[in-house]
Amino acid sequence: MRLETEDIGVRYGRHEALGGVNLRARAGEVTAIVGPNGSGKSTLLGAITGTLPHAGRVILNGRDVAGQKPWELAAQRAVLPQATRLAFPFEVLEVVRLGQQAGTAGGRANVPMQALARVGMAHYAERIFQDLSGGEAQRVMLARVLAQVWSPVEAGVPRWLLLDEPVASLDIAHQLQVMEIARDFARAGGGVVTVMHDLNLTALFADRVLVLSGGRPLAFGTPQEVLTDDTLSRAYGCTLKVSRPPERADMPYVLPHHGQLTGA
Amino acid sequence: MAALTEISSRPRDRHARARALHWALAGVLALCCAVSLQIGAAEVTLTALLGKWLAGEPLTMMERVVLFDIRLPRLAMGVMVGGALAVSGAAMQGLFRNPLADPGIVGVGAGAGLGAILAIVLGTLLPVWVTDIAGNHLVPLAAFFGGWGSTLLLYRVSTRGGRTSVATMLLAGIALGALAGALSGILVYMADDQQLRDLTFWGLGSLAGASWAKVLAAAPLVVLSVGAALVLGRGLNGLALGEATAAHIGIDVQRTKLVAILAVAGATGAAVAVSGGIGFIGIVVPHLLRLASGPDHRMLLPNAALLGASLLILADVIARVIIAPAELPIGIVTAVLGAPVFLWILLRRRGLVDL
Amino acid sequence: MRQGRMRRGGDGFATFMGGMIAALAILAAVAVSARQAEPADGAEADVLSIGGSVTEIVAALGQAHRIKARDTTSTYPPELADLPDVGYMRALSPEGVLSVDPSLIISEDGAGPPEALEVIRAADVPFIEVPAAMSPEGILEKIDIVGEALGVPEQAEALAAEVGEDLESAIARAEARAEAPRRVLFVLSTQGGRITASGTGTAADAMIRMAGGVNAIGDFEGYKQMSDEAVGLAAPDVILMMDRGGDHGLPDDELFAMPPIRVTPAAQSRSVVRMDGLLLLGFGPRTAEAVEQLSQALYGGDA
Repeated sequence: MRLETEDIGVRYGRHEALGGVNLRARAGEVTAIVGPNGSGKSTLLGAITGTLPHAGRVILNGRDVAGQKPWELAAQRAVLPQATRLAFPFEVLEVVRLGQQAGTAGGRANVPMQALARVGMAHYAERIFQDLSGGEAQRVMLARVLAQVWSPVEAGVPRWLLLDEPVASLDIAHQLQVMEIARDFARAGGGVVTVMHDLNLTALFADRVLVLSGGRPLAFGTPQEVLTDDTLSRAYGCTLKVSRPPERADMPYVLPHHGQLTGA
Repeated sequence: MAALTEISSRPRDRHARARALHWALAGVLALCCAVSLQIGAAEVTLTALLGKWLAGEPLTMMERVVLFDIRLPRLAMGVMVGGALAVSGAAMQGLFRNPLADPGIVGVGAGAGLGAILAIVLGTLLPVWVTDIAGNHLVPLAAFFGGWGSTLLLYRVSTRGGRTSVATMLLAGIALGALAGALSGILVYMADDQQLRDLTFWGLGSLAGASWAKVLAAAPLVVLSVGAALVLGRGLNGLALGEATAAHIGIDVQRTKLVAILAVAGATGAAVAVSGGIGFIGIVVPHLLRLASGPDHRMLLPNAALLGASLLILADVIARVIIAPAELPIGIVTAVLGAPVFLWILLRRRGLVDL
Repeated sequence: MRQGRMRRGGDGFATFMGGMIAALAILAAVAVSARQAEPADGAEADVLSIGGSVTEIVAALGQAHRIKARDTTSTYPPELADLPDVGYMRALSPEGVLSVDPSLIISEDGAGPPEALEVIRAADVPFIEVPAAMSPEGILEKIDIVGEALGVPEQAEALAAEVGEDLESAIARAEARAEAPRRVLFVLSTQGGRITASGTGTAADAMIRMAGGVNAIGDFEGYKQMSDEAVGLAAPDVILMMDRGGDHGLPDDELFAMPPIRVTPAAQSRSVVRMDGLLLLGFGPRTAEAVEQLSQALYGGDA
């Protein structure tokens, strides 16, 4: 089962923000979308989730998402936005339950607490969401997303996590924790598509990587195939050096070269 | 795993409290209804009448008129108007994600006001058969259609390609309000002495004009609209996360907006039509309930209906008896009680209002 | 920490609800005791009189003792001030009206709201409506109807004859004084620096004419807010206003300093007449007195 896009394009007025993207993400894998600021990463995720009007098609588990009802989609995939401004003073557990209201996990009363425990926030269950720090809020939102698609495979059909920079405001320990959650979800048969900034975390956790540059796909493949000096330097417009630590040759490690902007 | 189960089975304070509050408020409403029938300018009390009825004595004409033609329709109207205003307020605040939003935002107040002024000032220009049929209900009818019409207009203006922009609606509402205000100003200029007085009293709001005819006319609309609003709980909870996320968790955002707007226009339009402008219920009631039992709209909306009805009935009792045998417009009572509460809320939770 | 905050919120709510209920209870108690403190009048008091001029007529017919309650506009004679007040005549509360238990309601035209009147009629209390008047004949008709309603037609006939004569002679004297009719502007309100004045077809217009004056405004009907220039164009010789009593009125200096008034002949001669509103505009039994007063104020001279 897959999440596929066919010729996705997004325009803001006359400016083409994204064009010609054909993504193939497989269930059981973590698929990362990387690229410099403004390369269209979040725009692509917005098109996939249906938030942004777009050209082209999005096929989820073999069915075109256009024409599916919000609750049908909600049962198949959960979306973590970059940031959430919650309107009223809900408690943390209430927020997680908001996610669970939809979809097929509805009947499982313990799921929200389990999801909170999974992100290490169980003891904050009765705190007011607005009182949390940025990182804590982000983890609660991840718990909300997990509660929505708690079992990675439901009736033989994989479910999907669509994450927009899930580790943006987290410290290193929680970055690893969140990425492990995403990888475990994929290992259990679910699909994960995540926008990433950190190339090293991407190398550590992603199975597939899509590199975007200027709204166009530049490369798609495994981290070893894609995270190369040439591709990254072209994508980011500066000289980047990829090294491989001797003890783990399969893991690229990206180092910037100082002061050598190519001026692209 | 054992630890998890333990955590998850911990008693849920706010949810339990909201449910307990629900039954408590139902009791309060029943009590308020009894008080409203018991107290009034006339020396007629519910308890005395019940005693007479049990003893098999007939009621006097005066007792019957006071109970059945005055207090009961007035009570029914108070319950409907208070419930409608409070639920509309809660729904609007949920829709606009702002605890200070009130039904006025969707243009109901301005439109209803314009409709009422049109009927009062230009009603005499209508053909006689129209005024004959409408009778005393010309002003309420015009107010209702004014409110409903302006809301539909706002909805049309702010909806493009099947998506309603809440921000556009807010701004267009301000423009429409200004336009309605200007038209009203022109009509006020044309009004004669008597019409001006009618306008003033309409604006202050009162349940004094309650009658079974009005109750029966407004009831289907209020019941339908409030009923529709009560099922919005899940959708409005989702909207608290923002429109995009609400859609992602499976909520039909556009339908939620449409139902909320139509329900508020219907409920508020009917309430304003039969009682004039009554302020603060729509803002203060949801606020108090959020403080007491949290913002979950699935409990907030029904609780708002109960508390709104109770407070309006109590305010009406005050309006009726404080300067008896005369009475105050109830809009004055709700403003005098509501404005300080409103300020108290703002000062207590300054951080709550994040504009 | 969360627990503490929640508890505070709950306490605040409980305090608020408690306070609110206590306040309501006190208000209700005050209102109930105030109601019970109504003066117990003579057994004959059975009439609810609504409308200032109607109440004056009842009193002039020697039937003041029969008035059980009044409305807010019934301010004359002053002895009636102690009677229960059922509120403003256009915003009556049906239960308030019925609570004074009248066996007869006499009301000037214009009482309302209509829903309230419907309920009052449903309670089978006789309700006599007295048409509004803006002429001597209208006043006599009012007296006639009120006398009939109270069952004192002879007194009514006598009063009507007396009032009619007084009016006739007052108007005649006013006419005689007014060799050079003065232009009079009746100013209803000066709120916010804007002048609201009387056009034609109003009680004020009728009074100005009966007192031998000319309404400075002839080109609109009713009471309207006027532009500054329109006031200047009307060029009144005298400003006529209602006396608000005590210090509440606008001092002459401020009145004549208002931009729209400043340019008028009235400001140059500092001519303003202030009269009690009910006396001036009520069209009741004291209207002859009002005509005499106004005419003297306009043209000087004696009775």
